[in-house]
Amino acid sequence: MIAPSLALLTFFLHTALMDIFTLLQSKPVLIGLHLGAAIIGIDLFLWLAGKFKDNTGSQRSRIITALLGVSAFIMSWISGGFYYVQYYGTLVKPIIKSGAASWAHNISMETKEHIFLFIIPLAMTVFFITLLDKAKIDALKIRRSAVWLSSTVAVLGLLIGALGFTVSAAARWGLMN
Amino acid sequence: MHSTKAITSSAYAAITTIAFVVVITVVGELSEPFKEWLKGISGHHWTTKSIFSVLLYSILTVALSFVPGLEREKHLQRALRFLLIVPIVGVLVLFAFYTAHYLKLF
Repeated sequence: MIAPSLALLTFFLHTALMDIFTLLQSKPVLIGLHLGAAIIGIDLFLWLAGKFKDNTGSQRSRIITALLGVSAFIMSWISGGFYYVQYYGTLVKPIIKSGAASWAHNISMETKEHIFLFIIPLAMTVFFITLLDKAKIDALKIRRSAVWLSSTVAVLGLLIGALGFTVSAAARWGLMN
Repeated sequence: MHSTKAITSSAYAAITTIAFVVVITVVGELSEPFKEWLKGISGHHWTTKSIFSVLLYSILTVALSFVPGLEREKHLQRALRFLLIVPIVGVLVLFAFYTAHYLKLF
């Protein structure tokens, strides 16, 4: 009696996991994850910049904020990267290239996809700074740098978002024309 | 690992990684065989660049943490100052390069 129940449970679990896996690979979900995770990352690093600037927040809260921010950017990287490699080149790029705004791929997309690779090393360095307590950060005279570095991560994220917007808009115009 | 040293190591590793990404991107656009080689490793040139950048950053951060003297305050401050400049220069170089490439200036 136990064996068939176990087999049934395994079957349902396998089906559910496959459904989730298939759902995660769908284009709207990938784009949503890419954008949503990036927004969370940007917000967290802006928040962190504020904490460094005003010298507020416990060391624990700074570490958690940086860790969540780095994780969000990694998720955005993986989901966006999967979409870019699997779908963008075959489905979106030809539409943009044949439209009136082919520069959106040649300039915006090409720049965006490579700037993204700057973010994780930068964000990780900010994370390492959060491992120091407030007194040590001030004693080492790196609080200003911490503010600017956290802000740079957020601004790079925003810049990538703006470039992504031009790519999406060019694809929409390409479809309409 | 000493926290100060971890920050300095990470900052220098990040600077090198950003410079590396800019260089292989520009070289890849100018040399089709090099871009094909990058593509051949993982199936897509961007995926290979991503893998290389993660490996380079991780290995350098660990390796630099063994360099004596990097925990000193002046190294830390200098590394963080450079780290503020390099990404901005990287963005400008890539944007200018792709714009010039699109305009067929070279």
